[in-house]
Amino acid sequence: MEELFSRFTSLNEKELVRLDKAFGWSLSAAELVQARDYFRKAGREPFRGELESLAQTWSEHCKHKTFSGPVRFRSGRKVKKYRNLFKETIVRATRELDRSWCLSVFKDNAGIVEFGSDGKWGLAFKAETHNHPCAVEPYGGAETGVGGVIRDILGVGLGAKPVLNTDNFCFGRLDSKKKLPKNALGAERIFRGVVDGVRDYGNRMGIPTAAGGIYFDDGYLLNPLVYVGCAGLIPAEKIEKKVRPGDLIVSIGGRTGRDGIHGATFSSANIDEETSSSAVQIGHAINEKKVLDVIMRARDRGLYGALTDCGAGGFSSAIGELGSETGARVRLENARLKDTGIEPWEIWVSESQERMILAVSPGKMPALEDILNSENCEYCVLGEFTGDKRLLVTFNSETVVDLPMDFLHGGVPSVEKAAVHRPPRISRRPPASRAPHGRALRELLSHPNICSRHSVITQYDHEVQGGTVIKPLQGRYGDGPGDAAVIWPHAATGSVRDHAGFAVAHGFNPAAGRLDPYLMALYSVDEAVRNLVCVGAEISRTALLDNFCAASPAAPEVMGSLVLAAEGCYDAAMGYGAPFISGKDSFYNQSRDAYGKDHPIPLSLLISAVAPVADVRRAITMDLKRAGNPLYLAGVSRKGMGGSVYNEVHDTRNNYLCPLDIKAAVGTYGALLRAIKAGCVLAAHDVSQGGLAVTLAEMSFSGGFGAVVDLSSAPSEKGVSALELLFGESPSRIVVEVSREKETEFRRLTGGLPVARIGSVQERPELEAGLGGRGLLKEDILVLKSDWKRELL
Amino acid sequence: MLIEIWTRDGYSGNEEAGLIDRLSRAGLEVGAAKLSRLYNIDAAWPRGHFKRLLSGLLADPITEKGSLSGRPGLDGFYRVEVWLKRSATDVVGESVREAVHDVLGLAPRGVRFGRAYYLAAPGRRKPAGGAAADPYQARLRAVVARTLANEIVQTVTIA
Repeated sequence: MEELFSRFTSLNEKELVRLDKAFGWSLSAAELVQARDYFRKAGREPFRGELESLAQTWSEHCKHKTFSGPVRFRSGRKVKKYRNLFKETIVRATRELDRSWCLSVFKDNAGIVEFGSDGKWGLAFKAETHNHPCAVEPYGGAETGVGGVIRDILGVGLGAKPVLNTDNFCFGRLDSKKKLPKNALGAERIFRGVVDGVRDYGNRMGIPTAAGGIYFDDGYLLNPLVYVGCAGLIPAEKIEKKVRPGDLIVSIGGRTGRDGIHGATFSSANIDEETSSSAVQIGHAINEKKVLDVIMRARDRGLYGALTDCGAGGFSSAIGELGSETGARVRLENARLKDTGIEPWEIWVSESQERMILAVSPGKMPALEDILNSENCEYCVLGEFTGDKRLLVTFNSETVVDLPMDFLHGGVPSVEKAAVHRPPRISRRPPASRAPHGRALRELLSHPNICSRHSVITQYDHEVQGGTVIKPLQGRYGDGPGDAAVIWPHAATGSVRDHAGFAVAHGFNPAAGRLDPYLMALYSVDEAVRNLVCVGAEISRTALLDNFCAASPAAPEVMGSLVLAAEGCYDAAMGYGAPFISGKDSFYNQSRDAYGKDHPIPLSLLISAVAPVADVRRAITMDLKRAGNPLYLAGVSRKGMGGSVYNEVHDTRNNYLCPLDIKAAVGTYGALLRAIKAGCVLAAHDVSQGGLAVTLAEMSFSGGFGAVVDLSSAPSEKGVSALELLFGESPSRIVVEVSREKETEFRRLTGGLPVARIGSVQERPELEAGLGGRGLLKEDILVLKSDWKRELL
Repeated sequence: MLIEIWTRDGYSGNEEAGLIDRLSRAGLEVGAAKLSRLYNIDAAWPRGHFKRLLSGLLADPITEKGSLSGRPGLDGFYRVEVWLKRSATDVVGESVREAVHDVLGLAPRGVRFGRAYYLAAPGRRKPAGGAAADPYQARLRAVVARTLANEIVQTVTIA
């Protein structure tokens, strides 16, 4: 292969593809031809480091070619063309909404919105995925995923202080009987390793992990999804970064080794001692903590002009990105190394963890060195940013890269992708009830997608920094399932007199996505927003993150689903007035099973939402508080059991997904929020997986009270069945417990909206539901709780 | 020098029961289980230095015990040793190396951290003759590879 590489500019397309496969670049044929033609024109053969740089910079991971590329979408006879799918959907909504409180969107390592009332602070928020590394080595993959997203927050603007970690996972069913390929890890093994990794990294960093979710489906058996997020506070005047010619390129934190070089290609390679160090990255939280402490001190003293993290592509992408407007001169012999046997191009693209790149004015270097030394944080000066707009990388006298920045960042060719949508068969027949309602409720409560997550949540430190006001486990016994976390970031702002905080929640519904990707996006945004309502967050200032995970975008059906979901994101963002501020996508999540059959994951869209809470002392939880208080259901219960957990347990033969009326939802949520602020609402919990019966059960046993409800008064679509009322998962519904002393005021605030009293809280520990005098179920809440409180780990 | 640390009887019930349960779910019945932490400290120092590290740094004197010459009283148990490969970053080992320097004022060449699992087959003793003559050990190896170790980054030995 070295011989083939030595005559790169004379290779034909077939030979280029062969070379690409051997060197693990994952460049397309069009990209290889583009690179070859550039070097032909330059009149020389490329250096290995140059092709490695192009492979990193032009990768899907760094360039997001699929989402930001042209697409031709066909659905039936309708054809729609996109020049840039991302900009014409997700970014377009943000641009059209044009919120003044969005301080930095889609241009830095994370999105930033205004925080607090005095304009002094910004709240940065970002979520990432680390799917493939977690399939290979769950513990290390999860650790480095958490470490990476924390560095995104550290590297946004001039550095934000992390105050919250989030985690959302998708695994195969723990009881799956499917045969796995030889080297694949089982679902329990991946689950356990991922939780351990998130726990160890987050806890050691001193950042609370307080919001997230876990979803089980055999579509993720071979390709688990690990979404990790981080939120941080940054002074508003520290949001802008600027690299100036002459600034030193300073690498701080971990040393550089052969970690993560071409990591993606190792999943199909033989596993041996030689490959291991490259295939797998192990996190070192203590090193990252040192980096955090250095950055916070140096930022406040103004000791650098810009910084970013070393993520995918290592120095290559971090320095390439920071120097894209200036140019950079890098001397790799200055790098601090873990191994001595490393090639120069490997130093350049290594993905060793816990490293950040700073642009430092030479005059400020001594002061920065003092801080680095006092924090025992290793560093090296790799070179300087220039003004010639070239990237020149050397190792002693050897040239590694010598490319113009405009080719590196703008040379990647765009290729139109075909997208097609073929809707599945939808049945709207009346849903068949397959079990007594009481038994069905108990089965649903013990379902892995509904049951308690305490065995995972309690491993995380969600109290560190002392600002987790609404915790992931709530209620009289501290074990009820919360809807959103509320954080009071006084540890970052330094002010205990100001009670401003923020809430973070999520929406996720791949089951709906299998039926209708467009509606999945709407449902997911709605779920995230209504979870925010449930704690009393100011939803008129909701900001969103989108994290798409999908199989190969080369499949037109996968692209078709993506287009529909992206259109759903646009409509949802406009409808809820909630701009997207950042996001990420991950493709090629598909693997072959033991029989050689491809298993793509279902299209998976995680919506993360953040909104301010003006006074954290007024935030509320989901557990019932007092016997005799009235219970209200807000939102219309509609027909359809599509995507429901009930359908997974007992197939009703109805897979219809009802449409979502965003305007009605926004009106209802706004009224509920006013009622919460007025002190009328003591508890609120959203209706989601398992339906209304599960919501009522969770509120009951979390508060230690029973509830009696008659669903004939519930706002509902005409003809909706008892089964759909109890277990249907139609969106935009919230159950609230109203203070009986303030019921009149509550009714005034919600008048004219689909909000109705359905029953009351009772002392007797039973959940009783009826429909116009007909008993539907009557269950002991302690029995329901024992079914729900399973040990997942 | 290999330093082995384990939880004293009376404090170790939960971790032992958890391990037995986990192996059982993976398809291996285990009669009894014990766990140890291993610290391989690469340094040519007098034995007294290592004793000091054992009692003053690595073991909690109330809940843990330790030894420089292996864990006694486990005849008939299979010993499963799991270490990170040399090529993988050993975060615990690196932290302990720094701590050793703080305690003794001397830096070892390196520290590696590993785990030992002692497992007894239900109702019978370990046969002589090694893995070839012992189908239980062969099953144990397969289950360990699925539960306790990831051979991409770790090495496993069973004796």
